Amino acid sequence: MTTFERIEISVIFVVTFAVFILGVAILGFGREIGYVFHGWLIAIVAGWGLMNLINRMNDKQPDIPHEYADTVIKWGVWATFIWGVIGFTIGDLLAWQLAIPSWNGDMSWSNFGRVRPMHTTAVIFGFGGNALMATSFYVVQRTSRARLASEVSPWFVFFGYNLFVLLAVTGYPMGITQSKEYAEPEWYADLVLTFAWVGYLWLYMRTLANRAEPHIYVANWYYMGFIVVIAMLHVVNNLSMPISIAYPKSYSLFAGVQDAMTQWWYGHNAVGFLLTAGFLGMMYYFLPKAVNRPIYSYRLSIIGFWGITFLYLWAGSHHLHYTALPDWVQYLGMTMSVILLVPSWGSVFNGILTINGAWDKVRTDPAVRFMMVAMLFYGLATFEGSFLAIRPVNTLSHYTDWTVGHVHAGALGWVAFISFGAMYKMVPWIWKREGTYSLRLEAWHFWLALSGTLIYVGAMWNSGITQALMWQTYDADGNFVYAFIDTVDAMRPYYFARAIGGLLYLIGACLGAYNIYMTVKGPAMAPAPDKHRPIMQPGE
Amino acid sequence: MKPELDEPSGQHTTGHEWDGLKELNTPVPLVFRISLWLTIAVSVITWVLYPSWPGITGYVKGVTGYSSRDRIAEAVADRQILRLEQMPEFASLDVTELANDPTLEAKYSDAIAVLYRDNCSACHGRDLKGQTNFPNLTDDHWLWSGTPEEIEYTLQYGINHTSDDTRWAEMPAFGDGMLERPDIAAVVEYVLKISGSEHDTELANAGAVVFEENCASCHEAGGIGGMEIGAPSLVDDAWIYGGTRDVLTETLKHGRQGVMPGWSGRLTEEEIKKLTLYVLWAGEDGQD
Repeated sequence: MTTFERIEISVIFVVTFAVFILGVAILGFGREIGYVFHGWLIAIVAGWGLMNLINRMNDKQPDIPHEYADTVIKWGVWATFIWGVIGFTIGDLLAWQLAIPSWNGDMSWSNFGRVRPMHTTAVIFGFGGNALMATSFYVVQRTSRARLASEVSPWFVFFGYNLFVLLAVTGYPMGITQSKEYAEPEWYADLVLTFAWVGYLWLYMRTLANRAEPHIYVANWYYMGFIVVIAMLHVVNNLSMPISIAYPKSYSLFAGVQDAMTQWWYGHNAVGFLLTAGFLGMMYYFLPKAVNRPIYSYRLSIIGFWGITFLYLWAGSHHLHYTALPDWVQYLGMTMSVILLVPSWGSVFNGILTINGAWDKVRTDPAVRFMMVAMLFYGLATFEGSFLAIRPVNTLSHYTDWTVGHVHAGALGWVAFISFGAMYKMVPWIWKREGTYSLRLEAWHFWLALSGTLIYVGAMWNSGITQALMWQTYDADGNFVYAFIDTVDAMRPYYFARAIGGLLYLIGACLGAYNIYMTVKGPAMAPAPDKHRPIMQPGE
Repeated sequence: MKPELDEPSGQHTTGHEWDGLKELNTPVPLVFRISLWLTIAVSVITWVLYPSWPGITGYVKGVTGYSSRDRIAEAVADRQILRLEQMPEFASLDVTELANDPTLEAKYSDAIAVLYRDNCSACHGRDLKGQTNFPNLTDDHWLWSGTPEEIEYTLQYGINHTSDDTRWAEMPAFGDGMLERPDIAAVVEYVLKISGSEHDTELANAGAVVFEENCASCHEAGGIGGMEIGAPSLVDDAWIYGGTRDVLTETLKHGRQGVMPGWSGRLTEEEIKKLTLYVLWAGEDGQD
């Protein structure tokens, strides 16, 4: 072990020990059942991590194989599909609850307000986050021709991150939340994520620094952008003061309109950097790789990347149009959102035009079809985003189901489609299989997911615009024509349609998970001389 | 590596390669450049017209002088004037005078129905017939009298609400040491008797005595109610919480403190008058 590795493992040991102490303190002093349960969870995971770290530190000659570190990626694939199926199931359950409200079970822990963040956290952080981590570890190693820069950090990052997701999702039904959308977990879960995320950033930068290529590939710019900005957003939006070690509750550093603006600066850029930049990184590796074509334009890559990175950070205020937020913040956010459309579509076309010369693969390879359609949905969602950010348009769309439809066009059609496409390519590669278990199942997954998404988004466009128009209908005397409850009543057919669309999507994802499982269970390729290995480091 | 020609696109690569991935050096398309400058131009024009960039102590106001607060204040003022113009009676007349005008119902009922459904139907139902724990507004059973002024007062200040002027009424919890269990059971049988339900005659007779001593001060002798102090008649078939043996026992043991919110301050005086009329009209359909 080099001195550097010794220092690194010591730092990780100290941090894990601190997390362990945090868990012990919570389970010892905690006075609420869910909170104490979380104390146990933290202490068990951190304690198990400590034992592994001690073993590692006692290993005088640790074996570092001369190949890419893929085991943690395999774990990431499983985590992606497990969280995905959980998150989609809860999501569809919620859709049925909205169509048939009595299905909330009339219990505090099963009502919509508590179950909804379970869905959003499981899909955004559980499914999306793990897909990003797994693919980023794959991409950074291949495009740098370097093994992950540490043997211990990838596991620290993976387990720390998934512990955070688990704490979040199990906390909501028990009422543990700080009520910030997409940042609901309380301070102790936020601390766990902070440690894991700093580890992720450090690991990624060091692996890039070890690269054997003269340039950094574009996919890595996006992954780096995603990691850096999420770190910044997470820390700032979650600045808060816990009331005591005995309770999960904390108070935010911000209040009033400042709190709202900080929250939507966070919320919008979680969409911009986790759900957009990160997945663009995925696209920039797996799409050209799958169609075996060069990227359409390096110049467009540069403008797209810097355009998105610069402009997204201004645009959060468009979530707060016509609120107490000062007008100047609203207009500034609106104009930046409008300009943002151009670099976003630049990325869309850069992806789609990359397929030029290999369009037959869209027909023959469902994974390529997934990725191609993902780009179309990205283009649709990002156009819609800029459009809805325009203040007069926002008077129609805001607070309606149109927003929900917009988010799901992006989440189902773009984020999950690109992830499924990338997974269908990456899984046979890392497990060294000829290909996926069944192309037919892959195609079934594609068509189920596509029809589910179209039904979902179509239903929400209809219900959103219907709601907006009903809310804004006045009679000649200036009175409302419809009571609010009338507008709820009118949503019924759309809510059923949405639930059916979600069910199709869920069935597709289950087929996908089964297909991945059977691929891994299937026979390995005959071992061939593998030319894709990290090259020797100088001085190694 | 040197840039090489890519046959299908006719473009050269940049000469970089990662894990077999290459990039073309395709120039940025003209349509992209035009769109970018166009959106920037639109933004600059918006910044000139509307509030935009912040400074140290203020912000660029924009040449239109736009302010969303001013806009909303103007819109609200306009709408209020419009409503007064369209329904002038509600500004000038009091509820008794309004109740005496038989032409109003046909003119305004549909418009006021929306106001009712937005604010009242969650408890009293869209058909005004109430539900368990919330009284029916279409019958002639009134806790606090059914005159226009009294209904208006209830709407303004509520019952057991936070306002100083709220109506106050409470069914005490007789189970908290005020009455023995057998006495409560007896009173329950008595109430079942006077409300015309199946009952135990012997217990009911004993209950009559207990009732006169403990309950008649609010519910009137014989439980006929009508004192307009929030205590209902017990001899009719209208029940707020229910008239079965179990529910009556529950009511006697633990009491009731139903709340009607006060709407003064949340709704305008005109709107409260409209809802008062709406409730009055609902009671005029000939039902008991």
